[in-house]
Amino acid sequence: MKRTVNTKGIASNPNEQLLTIKPESLMPFPDRKEIDDNHSPKLLTKQQRNDYECSLDGFVALRMLKPKTREEENKLVQSFLEGLRKLLSKENNWTFLQPLLLSLDYCAKCQTCSEACPIYLASGRQEIYRPTYRSEVLRQIKEKYLDKRGKVLSKLTGNLIDLNWTTIARLAELSYRCTLCRRCAQICPIGIDNGLITREIRKLFSQEMGIAPKELHESGTVKQLRVGASTGLTPKALKDIIQFMEEEIEEKTGKKIRIPLDREGADILLIHNSGEFMSWPENPEAFAIIFEAAGLSWTLSSDLGGYEATNYGAWYDDVQLARIAYKQVEIARKLGVKKIVIGECGHAHKALTVTADRLLTREFNIPRESCMPLLEDIVLNGRNGVHLRRNDFLVTLHDPCNMVRLMGIVEPQRRILREISSRFREMEPHGVDNYCCGGGSGFAIMNSMNFPDWKTSIAGRMKVMQILETFEDALDPSIKKCVCTPCSNCKGQMRDLFDRYGLQERYNILYTGLAELIVNAMANE
Amino acid sequence: MWLQIVTYISFIFIIVASFIKVRRIAGQPLHLRWELYPVPHEEGREYGGSYLEKLNWWTKPRRRSFLGMLTFMMREVLWFEKCYRNNRGLWYFTYPFHIGLFLLGGWLLLLFLEAMAMILGVTESIAWVMTIHYLTLAAGAAGFALSTIGSIGLLVKRSIDANLRLYSSPTDYFNLGFILTIVLSGVCSWYFFDPVFASAREFMKSLITFGPVLTNPAMTVSIILLCLFMIYMPFTHMMHWVTKYFAYHRVCWDDAPNLAGNNIQNKLEELLNQPISWSGPHIQTGKKWKEVVAEES
Repeated sequence: MKRTVNTKGIASNPNEQLLTIKPESLMPFPDRKEIDDNHSPKLLTKQQRNDYECSLDGFVALRMLKPKTREEENKLVQSFLEGLRKLLSKENNWTFLQPLLLSLDYCAKCQTCSEACPIYLASGRQEIYRPTYRSEVLRQIKEKYLDKRGKVLSKLTGNLIDLNWTTIARLAELSYRCTLCRRCAQICPIGIDNGLITREIRKLFSQEMGIAPKELHESGTVKQLRVGASTGLTPKALKDIIQFMEEEIEEKTGKKIRIPLDREGADILLIHNSGEFMSWPENPEAFAIIFEAAGLSWTLSSDLGGYEATNYGAWYDDVQLARIAYKQVEIARKLGVKKIVIGECGHAHKALTVTADRLLTREFNIPRESCMPLLEDIVLNGRNGVHLRRNDFLVTLHDPCNMVRLMGIVEPQRRILREISSRFREMEPHGVDNYCCGGGSGFAIMNSMNFPDWKTSIAGRMKVMQILETFEDALDPSIKKCVCTPCSNCKGQMRDLFDRYGLQERYNILYTGLAELIVNAMANE
Repeated sequence: MWLQIVTYISFIFIIVASFIKVRRIAGQPLHLRWELYPVPHEEGREYGGSYLEKLNWWTKPRRRSFLGMLTFMMREVLWFEKCYRNNRGLWYFTYPFHIGLFLLGGWLLLLFLEAMAMILGVTESIAWVMTIHYLTLAAGAAGFALSTIGSIGLLVKRSIDANLRLYSSPTDYFNLGFILTIVLSGVCSWYFFDPVFASAREFMKSLITFGPVLTNPAMTVSIILLCLFMIYMPFTHMMHWVTKYFAYHRVCWDDAPNLAGNNIQNKLEELLNQPISWSGPHIQTGKKWKEVVAEES
């Protein structure tokens, strides 16, 4: 029987896990018993359990060391409260104060949002993963410790949580059990946004306490600002990769293309997620082939940070978000381009085009747009003789949350796919109602200890289910199938999901970007 | 006379409190964009599209559909569509509850109009006065019935549905109980003493003329409880009827781009000149926002 955990429970029994996930309690894959292999998650070693905070659910995203003394614990509690005060002040959190207060103070606790959350559903409806759970914890801490309602009023208003290090450590981990897909906010009748509250919790931990996943902060934004890319790709290595890409394009297509680099005065600065250069160079190669065929005036940048579209600050830290956005537009300004076009990376789309829109003033406010309308223009209008034949295998489209639900870029990629594929079919639900791949908000790149098991077993479970349902009538491995995934982070998560569930080996399902499919259709010509 | 004074005080209180609440929310600084699609004023609202789907979107005229927004709002206000689609079990109770309260609000307004007609000496034989009279009867009857069913249903559902019970505090039950008590006392007054709302109309008239009025005990209780509720409500999350507007219009649907020459630039300059006092090791506490973001961590 499932143990019900209420919000008060988050503060108690520091030496016990609040939740232990059993494989059999997860959402089952009906009719697909072969892939649900009762995979047991990797257990932490005794040493890891002794050293790191893992009392939430036995998974570790943050690698938080346990405090050694009571004084240390108290200091951390005070630091958390100070951060919460700042989070609720105009001076420190002008960036999101209004949305935060609207969501924090007026939730009717109707739980309509729960059934929209793929993590809550995939976990077998575990209470701590309910979208309102972590919001309610923060709300209660605020009301009890900052609004100082007194004992009686606190009891009457249900603020029963005790604030101690256990509460804080579990809340910190819990803020990394949500992909910020905001599906919950989309269906809330009164506009409460638990995704936003989750991001604000992450922000408090990062901006006040310096607690953030290593992959997002140290090896993410900090590295990007210092080295040029979160992948560690340096300008010199980029130039080598570009040379390799040119050779590969010639080898595969016979076309001799010179990929423009640091071309001043070009119309377009194209910025890719640097992970594409490292893991899927066929994607930037495809862009180069399409842009050259269309005769566009464009360039890549080898300037420090000019070849990295990612902005992990979008997931946990406003200051880092702003720093990276400034750096990116500064490079575009130096090159004198007319606009920045963002390659296939969902969060980079949203971070630079939407979120940073109200950070970039005057000369820094250079036009920024998604690559989707540009690709659509090239494909549908047959620009400069780019003519296409149709790919004749089954294709479905995964909608990256950041690009679709959070930016409203829904149809261009579909119009392209309908044009280049004779066998395109939609997932259900799709478009702005899509399910996250489970790699959102940084999970795709977070690989701490046993966290990869969590993100494939739980966060990505709904997406696997959706892919299987979409191709239900064609799962026979003799039929070629493809999931078009126009986002680098989603592709990273797909890679892990495909490995974990054997989707390629068992069913001959592949994943790829959109530009590659366009070029594939061009190559058919 | 004391009943009229209490009514006035509580009415003024809720108006002022709501105004303060609105001002406080509206006065919060411009935030970063955090929209959520579908946005009903966008051209692509049917499928959730935005102006960002257009090539060189900043050179294209932005078309905002007022009708699209109005249609969405009407569906939400009059049908509670999101709840209907996504939480049908709750909708069966929350819909009659809220619609019942809207109708009772309308009933009070109609009573006020009737009272005005009485004061001005307009006879009941005139068609529009008759219409208002019958509308009052209908709105009162439907309002009392629906809000009673809704509040009982919500109380029961919150008590027995494990998903709701786990997150419900004593005040959540109290709030519903409070509303139910007000409504039931109104129902008692209507059923036992005031079948065509004549006393209610007289009380409304007395609020305008400050003349003497005779109320029945149930009506007195109902008025006192309603007055207390009007003073209590601004301190609770039940103000979501006000904040919902901001959650949608100022957050989910606020997709206004920062283009040269608009007011957003000036507001941003001011905000970026504020100092940062976060203590994270990567933040240079004390410097201005714009100085910090121009630096590497």
